[in-house]
Amino acid sequence: MKRSVRCMLASLLLALGLIAPPAGAADDETLVSNLRQLNEGSFDDKAAAVRTIAESGHPRAVPVLQALLDSRLYFRIAGGGIVIADALDAGYSVTDPVSGEALGEATQYEIRRVSINNAVRTEARKMLALAGLSSPDRQARAQAVERLLASPDPAIAERMEGLIDDEPVAGIRRDMALAIGLARLEAPEPATRLAALETLDGSLRNRVRNEVRRVARNDPAPAVQARAADILEGIEERRDLWGLGEQIFFGLSAGSVLMLAAFGLAITFGVMGVINMAHGELIMLGAYTTYVVQLLMPNAIDYSLFVAIPAAFLVTGAFGVAIERGVIRFLYGRPLETLLATFGLSLILQQLVRTVFSPLNRQVSTPEWMSGSIEINAALSLTLNRLYVIAFAFLVFGLLLVLFKRTTLGLKVRAVSQNRAMARAVGVSSSRIDALTFGLGAGVAGLAGVALSQITNVGPNMGQAYIIDSFLVVVFGGAGSLWGTLVGGLSLGVLNKFLEPETGAVLAKVLVLVFVILFIQRRPQGLFPQRGRAASEG
Amino acid sequence: MASPQTSATRVIPERPWRRLLHGDMGGRILLGTLAVLIVVIPILNQGVSPSSPFHVSDYTVNLLGRYLCFALLALALDLVWGYAGILSLGHGAFFALGGYAMGMYLMRQIGDRGVYGDPILPDFMVFLGWEQLPWFWYGFDQFWFAALMVLLVPGVFGFIFGWLAFRSRVTGVYLSIISQAMTYALMLAFFRNEMGFGGNNGLTDFKDILGFSLADPQTRLALFVASAVALGLAYLLCRSVVRSRAGRVVRAVRDAEPRTRSLGYRTDHYKLWIWTLSAMLAGLAGALYVPQVGIINPSEFSPLNSIEVVVWVAVGGRGTLYGAALGGALVNYAQTLLTAMIAELWLFALGGLFVAVTLFFPRGLVGLLKRREDRS
Amino acid sequence: MKGNKRLHNGVGPVLAAGVLALGLGSNGALAQEDPIKVGILHSLSGTMAISETALKETVEMLIEQQNEEGGLLGREIEPVVVDPASDWPRFAEQARQLLADDEVDVVFGTWTSVSRKSVLPVFEELNGLLFYPVQYEGEESSENVFYLGASPNQQAIPAVDYLMNDLGVERFALLGTDYVYPRTTNKILEQYLMDNGVAEEDIMINYTPFGHSDWQSIVSDVRDFGGQGEKTAIVSTINGDANVPFYTELANQGVSASDIPVVAFSVGEQELAGIDTAPLVGHMSAWNYFMSAPTTENVEFIQAWHEFKDDTSAVTNDPMEAHYIGFNMWVEAVRRAGTTDVEAVQDAIIGVTVPNLTGGYATMMPNHHITKPVMIGEIQPDGQFSVVWETNGEVAGDAWSDYLPESSDIIASWRAPLLCGNYNVETGVCSGQDYGD
Repeated sequence: MKRSVRCMLASLLLALGLIAPPAGAADDETLVSNLRQLNEGSFDDKAAAVRTIAESGHPRAVPVLQALLDSRLYFRIAGGGIVIADALDAGYSVTDPVSGEALGEATQYEIRRVSINNAVRTEARKMLALAGLSSPDRQARAQAVERLLASPDPAIAERMEGLIDDEPVAGIRRDMALAIGLARLEAPEPATRLAALETLDGSLRNRVRNEVRRVARNDPAPAVQARAADILEGIEERRDLWGLGEQIFFGLSAGSVLMLAAFGLAITFGVMGVINMAHGELIMLGAYTTYVVQLLMPNAIDYSLFVAIPAAFLVTGAFGVAIERGVIRFLYGRPLETLLATFGLSLILQQLVRTVFSPLNRQVSTPEWMSGSIEINAALSLTLNRLYVIAFAFLVFGLLLVLFKRTTLGLKVRAVSQNRAMARAVGVSSSRIDALTFGLGAGVAGLAGVALSQITNVGPNMGQAYIIDSFLVVVFGGAGSLWGTLVGGLSLGVLNKFLEPETGAVLAKVLVLVFVILFIQRRPQGLFPQRGRAASEG
Repeated sequence: MASPQTSATRVIPERPWRRLLHGDMGGRILLGTLAVLIVVIPILNQGVSPSSPFHVSDYTVNLLGRYLCFALLALALDLVWGYAGILSLGHGAFFALGGYAMGMYLMRQIGDRGVYGDPILPDFMVFLGWEQLPWFWYGFDQFWFAALMVLLVPGVFGFIFGWLAFRSRVTGVYLSIISQAMTYALMLAFFRNEMGFGGNNGLTDFKDILGFSLADPQTRLALFVASAVALGLAYLLCRSVVRSRAGRVVRAVRDAEPRTRSLGYRTDHYKLWIWTLSAMLAGLAGALYVPQVGIINPSEFSPLNSIEVVVWVAVGGRGTLYGAALGGALVNYAQTLLTAMIAELWLFALGGLFVAVTLFFPRGLVGLLKRREDRS
Repeated sequence: MKGNKRLHNGVGPVLAAGVLALGLGSNGALAQEDPIKVGILHSLSGTMAISETALKETVEMLIEQQNEEGGLLGREIEPVVVDPASDWPRFAEQARQLLADDEVDVVFGTWTSVSRKSVLPVFEELNGLLFYPVQYEGEESSENVFYLGASPNQQAIPAVDYLMNDLGVERFALLGTDYVYPRTTNKILEQYLMDNGVAEEDIMINYTPFGHSDWQSIVSDVRDFGGQGEKTAIVSTINGDANVPFYTELANQGVSASDIPVVAFSVGEQELAGIDTAPLVGHMSAWNYFMSAPTTENVEFIQAWHEFKDDTSAVTNDPMEAHYIGFNMWVEAVRRAGTTDVEAVQDAIIGVTVPNLTGGYATMMPNHHITKPVMIGEIQPDGQFSVVWETNGEVAGDAWSDYLPESSDIIASWRAPLLCGNYNVETGVCSGQDYGD
């Protein structure tokens, strides 16, 4: 086994590294027959074929394996010939895997994908990672080591030992040392295992923890077992601490979503005293705007959000102004009627979206830079989309604060909300301010929609999911107070996330609802009571 | 509930119910219609051959019965919204609680005819592996107990909620929002299978009520008549309440609560009891509804359902009682018609109705009719 | 009705003949003209419209195709479409309308268990026929319902078999939405896993509400659960909308299919249409049909669907295949019976065998469930599945699970002499049915 791996490695090096021997017709034939095995064999045969292809040293080996991993390897339903296929708007353009020549196009009714499973995929990844270990690109090397860490075996460790001293990047060296250490845990001599354990001390990696735990449980040598148990305890302790950090992050993230969803409402409800039941649907419209923006710029998904943010603000803002001018302005001073009318609007907007975009959820892509997570360490990684949403929520908060406190518009809004008659007397056009304020609230709801499109479904019902929560946040925080919304949103989010492990998601939510209901009974004005039209009405 | 001393101040006409309906044309028409329905529908359903154009099918009887339940629910809401000015966005919760109480009785009536043949435990408990009946299911094998609970559970629940809310002077939109949160929380809670109410599937597969098979057209006819009678009686009750002295205080609360309070009335007490009464009526509506549709499930608690009730009342005309009942029946009839014709249109129509009613017909259909009357 | 039915069996032939004669005598000539009515009871609005709209269109397409081939028994087939709007009481109301007012001959419809449970009494009372196209929790067999979707032994159990035997999974996180299908499925799986030597602490069960969108803590818990050394897999019965945020969170927290694979029972091509599937490659679903099945029947079906929808990117999925099978079975049964009469069709349909879309055959069993192949597919970047495992031949659906203590003794057979959907072989009692008054 070991020999064959080494032999294979040698040939791999030969193939991928430096001196690729010219591929002859015979090599092509082997590749074709291996490709056939890749399509028709059992999954074990397929994995073997992957190894043979990697071993073969054929210059097309890497592109073929990559195509297999990317699910671009297809076969023709008639005849079973293997092709590499790339999706076009309709159908596929196909190339010959062996020669790399274009073979024209095929429709979706003619070809089917070569099916592989996780085992085959893992094998192919490993083969490509092995090739990547000696890549000149440091990123590629780091990824290769990371990948190999998941399944270290002695052959890999041996290969890394040969590379570790020449590795210029410290981080990669460290990971290589971990991989070597993990592999050595299998060594027959207790001393080697003990030494290997020492290299693992201090790492928070899951893989390391699992292996150390296994050693602590099963190692035949008591000394090794005891040391492993020691190390494991240290690892667990630190992981628990980081776990708490993770929980707080989850809470903040949940809270920031609540807060974002509630800002718009804090403006329309808190400042203007208008109950806007269509608020959730304005959020939804913001999310759909993101979807449309991405449709319009399919080749620039990475930048689409920067277009979507202002677009969503403007679109929902315009809807907001229209709602205010068309309906709400006739209902000032009659909050309950406003509630009903805007609820009607919410139904209409929902159905409108259903009619225009279909009732199905729409797919909003996450830009590359928002996917994945940043790793603080192996025990705590913060998911990027959530992190950006938190940051975005605070940004919106900051901007709103500036807008209200530092601009003339803000001043006028506050003036009208505190004393309409007086404001008019000093020349503020209160109806214009009303429309603008409502538009602002709606626009902010649209911004929330952009953020939500990155973490949840975009569909006609998405607004419904947030309306009650947003109202509670606003009421809990104190109507009309942006600070109240901030604190209310974050604290409800954190409370929810700390309850959840104890009670389960549903009960946690119910308890939070009950908590808010009881809280409002005690403090009807919320955490941060505020003067305003809503306050005098309530 | 009407306080007896109200009558003392007036000349007493010979029949009390006549006095009750004095000047209440709408109420008379409502009660008259109900009386006609009670007599005519059974005849048209049972007595007329199915091939005759005058025959009323079982399906229609069932549908009418449900409209009456909705009318009763709307009536209950109008009592608090139209007269006390409390806009409840959670009345669906009381309706559903009453429905569940009835559903539990019907569930226990299944006995050993459930799919697992357990004489005591309902099917969903058997397959969730419950060993014994939870305590709150005790007694529901008796109709009288269930009937009591139909009123008591929503009543007590409403009382506690109202007591907390009115005592701390939560009013206006705040109250609306927390009543919505209440029904939302209940919905989430009832969706949980651990609660012991059948989770998402709710209670279903009922067999019979008081020994009569629910599949029997006569039973359904009886339920229809019961709904009509309940609606009629509830109307008289509500009418007597709003005409009583307490009813007038409640109206004063609606129009100017601080002033009423400063006159020395415990406004929270008045609000609380009218709220509790309304919750009980809503529960009764739910209890009549469940055997007619054959299922009760947590989606009855959904905030959307509650808010739809508000629009029934608004469409019919709030603050008139009979208008609310009319709205409850009419809007649902329109829904049946529209969803059968063009499904997509229904939400547009419902949404448009909300907007139109609030903007153009704040007094609802009744208001429209009255205005025409006034003009002519 | 059931009670009456039993009575019929006694006086049976006489009455039946009488009814038949009456039918033929009174409007025999007209019958040639009258279309056969097929009711379609799927939500076209509300939350379930996402899933059910495609099914309504599938039945419409099948009817259209059948009519092009000359209809059935020389009569045109006419679809009667209603919209129960994802509202459970309305399902019952509209079922009643279809059966009593429109007098349809058969109904294809419902998706969720609760909607099926809600219409079931109506179908039994008015003696209609319902073809139910979705995988479900089992524990039911009605004379009036034909279950075309998988019961747990046609989906869940083969899937965990695959996880245990082929992937060497030793720890299982059973995540589900809190309703009856996941509850029952997980209960069956828990028992099955323990029977197969999986320790109790190696099974984690978690339920979330419908539409759950914040999966941070749960995914983190599962990661932790899976980080104990043994190979771990997630068995997901998460429903509908909640899946997108669930998979997104998995991807973001770096849980890939090679670490902790997910095998889902409710995620098909339709659900994946709303997700960016690149990070999900390798996660699995267990179904009885995948759109990627490379058979001519399937390609023809997909082509017809694309033409019908006028959209070459429209997807097909398992419940659609179920309707395809069910519709063809019903057509065949009507042909055999020579009438659309409910009881004749009920008799004729048992044993009817029609081709499925994956190269095999589906047979209607006496317990009103059908035979289906079970497949595991891995998600591909384009939202399709590639089949990585398949049962040898078809598996017959089990109405009552062998792994639940309360139903292991129960069998169902709608063939004489048993004629019972709930027969306890231990006690010899047929329960859960109306005894008659």
